[in-house]
Amino acid sequence: MFRRKVTAALALAAVLALSACSGSPTTSDSSGATGGTLTLVATVAPKTLDASGAEWANQTPYFQAAYDTLLLADADGTIKPFLASAWQYNDANTALTLTLRNDVKFSDGSALTSEVVKTNLERFKAGTSSTASALRNVASIDTPDAQTVVINLTDPDPALVTYLTREAGLIASGQAIAADAAALATDPIGSGPYIMDTASTVIGTSYVYTKNPNYWDPAIQHYDKVVVNTVADQTAALNIIKSGEANGVRLASNLNLAEVQASGWTVNAGEINVGGLLLFDRAGTMVPALGDVRVRQAINYALDRPGLLQALQKGAGTVTEQVFPSRSTAFDSALDSTYSYDPAKAKQLLSTAGYASGFTLNLPTSPSIPPAAYTLLQQLFSDVGITVNYTDAGNNYIADLVAAKYPAGYINLEQGGDWQVAQFMISPTATWNPFHYQDATVDGYLKSMQFGTQTERDQAATELNKYIVDQAWFAPFFRPQNSIATDAHTTVKMLPTNVYPNLYDFQQK
Amino acid sequence: MLTFLIRRIAAGIVLLFAVSFVAFSLLYLGAGDIARRILGENAAADTVALKAHQLGLDRPFIVQYFDWLGGALTGQLGKSWFTSQSVSIDIATRLPVTLSIVIGAVLLAAIVSVLLGVLAARKGGWIDSVVQVVSVIGYAIPNFVVALVLVLVFAINLGWFKATGFVPLTVSFPAWIASVTLPMIALSLGAIATVSQQIRGSVIDALSRDYVRTLRSRGLSSNRVVYRHVLRNAGGPALAVLSVQFVGMLGGAVVIEQIFALPGIGQLTVQAAMQSDTPVVMGVVIVTAIIVIIVNLLIDIAQAGLNPKVRLS
Repeated sequence: MFRRKVTAALALAAVLALSACSGSPTTSDSSGATGGTLTLVATVAPKTLDASGAEWANQTPYFQAAYDTLLLADADGTIKPFLASAWQYNDANTALTLTLRNDVKFSDGSALTSEVVKTNLERFKAGTSSTASALRNVASIDTPDAQTVVINLTDPDPALVTYLTREAGLIASGQAIAADAAALATDPIGSGPYIMDTASTVIGTSYVYTKNPNYWDPAIQHYDKVVVNTVADQTAALNIIKSGEANGVRLASNLNLAEVQASGWTVNAGEINVGGLLLFDRAGTMVPALGDVRVRQAINYALDRPGLLQALQKGAGTVTEQVFPSRSTAFDSALDSTYSYDPAKAKQLLSTAGYASGFTLNLPTSPSIPPAAYTLLQQLFSDVGITVNYTDAGNNYIADLVAAKYPAGYINLEQGGDWQVAQFMISPTATWNPFHYQDATVDGYLKSMQFGTQTERDQAATELNKYIVDQAWFAPFFRPQNSIATDAHTTVKMLPTNVYPNLYDFQQK
Repeated sequence: MLTFLIRRIAAGIVLLFAVSFVAFSLLYLGAGDIARRILGENAAADTVALKAHQLGLDRPFIVQYFDWLGGALTGQLGKSWFTSQSVSIDIATRLPVTLSIVIGAVLLAAIVSVLLGVLAARKGGWIDSVVQVVSVIGYAIPNFVVALVLVLVFAINLGWFKATGFVPLTVSFPAWIASVTLPMIALSLGAIATVSQQIRGSVIDALSRDYVRTLRSRGLSSNRVVYRHVLRNAGGPALAVLSVQFVGMLGGAVVIEQIFALPGIGQLTVQAAMQSDTPVVMGVVIVTAIIVIIVNLLIDIAQAGLNPKVRLS
């Protein structure tokens, strides 16, 4: 049981803009040995193996084994050619032209053509994956010749190239789609480095892939076989590590890191999510107090972030007061001390805002979040005079939060590129802006981020970040560490943009 | 006997309908916004609505139930909402895993219980006391604790068995043994504790009966009396207890399969129930109910074979 590594990663919206790139496919480190089996453990099973319903994050390895993406984001955070050997925007950033490789075959023997790419993109846009809306700005797709695809946009989308490095860029065989698209859900037909062995696979539990003998980039095929086991139970995952029954394990919790290391495994760490309170009701329609910026700031001052990080993550992670990731141009480390823990200041702000005797905040709880988090929050807020009442939302936690049933909520969310964060958490139509709160200043920044030059975009993102920190739109706690444990024979490169590394980046020592 | 069987089968069918309706109702009431749960926090509202429509979740409850029932009656149990796998295939793939450990555990429990029960009944004294104390301990310790200790000692430290995962019998017999032994033992301990006590009591009771004295007076060996005659009489109640244990083990397998990461019905049930994956949960409920009904029927037939009076009751 040995393994290797690779390259490939996600992308950064910042890099995209008017980029015109071309070159060799992947930059693979082929220094390690090859052959053998790579056994990985993921915490969730994919809901489908059809590219049109794909999800990224923890489900990445299932898809990267069988499919290739149009573009590739590597561990350095840069976007590279993959199925598309070059890409270029027009001057208005409303048409993206992709040039496809001409040596790619799907595992059913059919060829990669522009029509196949068009079919895939249209299926993804019309599908029901969690990020089907990533292609919302796509107006039409032209295929002037077999190797050229032109994606026409209604408006510029600074995150489009990034999306093409992940689920939206996965390309399935056009022949397989035409023959029996429904079968792709459990039998993926892509052009990826591995082919799923359906006879050995137990859907929902263990996914087995064998090396694709006709793969166009053998340099990134470090193993003869890849097995991805789905193990949600943390005790079982820990037993797998202790008994050496896998090579790479995604750790769903930071509470056992010492035990993992004591077993001779390496903990490879990254930070991709931000956890904390999202203060949705900024207009004060449900809780008038939240409509006052001083109250929102008081909430931020009431948070003992280092204490929360220690209690909830055993210190694994970094405290933050920003929803933009640290790799972003919008990020400013100085902003992370805007609201250092200061209960007295919090009380003073509440008093100034007319809430000297406090107010009540109704928040939902979820069984998937440790109860300690709720207890600690209740205590911290109680210390400054804010009463927190909890309602068990059960299975409806996320649904209730995004349906504007609560004025605020505690959740961990992915930190994507700048434009992704803006579209996901900030814009009036964002899923995580459930009260559709709108602010003219924010709208101005968003417009610059979408239509400006690269310099203008970066500047707008930076100013937007500072503005929403000052306005206390959110009350983030920390970026919890996400970890992949690897055994003594395996190395991996973590990605700055995804919780699960690229499959190609696992390699034998 | 035929009337007896027909009556039991008819009751079983009625039970299946009742179970399916109750289970579907509970799932419906507890599911919440299932489309949002399927798609998670990243999905936009319009995608969630589209998903709900695709799954038919925007239809009335009774329409959804009869849609499911119509499919089930024609053998179509649908597809998992969370893995897209056909429920029939899912169950067919996972049933052998669960049955491997449950049937193995029942057989193990039966053999060990008979040996312990008879030993305690015949020897008495300190041996009986030790067996009883061990039984109580075996009954009192939850099987997941036993499982964790077994993994730690025999899989992780000694490396004799697999800590997680399942290898089909058709792939490798030694590897299959390595993957099912510990779960089997963990699952059987509670049953051994209960059944051995049942057998001990029954054997002690039978040994004091007149027919035993008669058999002995005719010169039959003690072993022959116990294993050919006494156990036949003591077997009825023990069989009944064992059948209850079998049903209990189907439930116990839920935890054991989680700990050993075995892709069995138990693990499937936990995942599906926690996700409100209605097609899968319904499929598992129906298949499990059918298994329980069949096992009970077989036990009834066995009881009737052992004791003709049962057929008349």
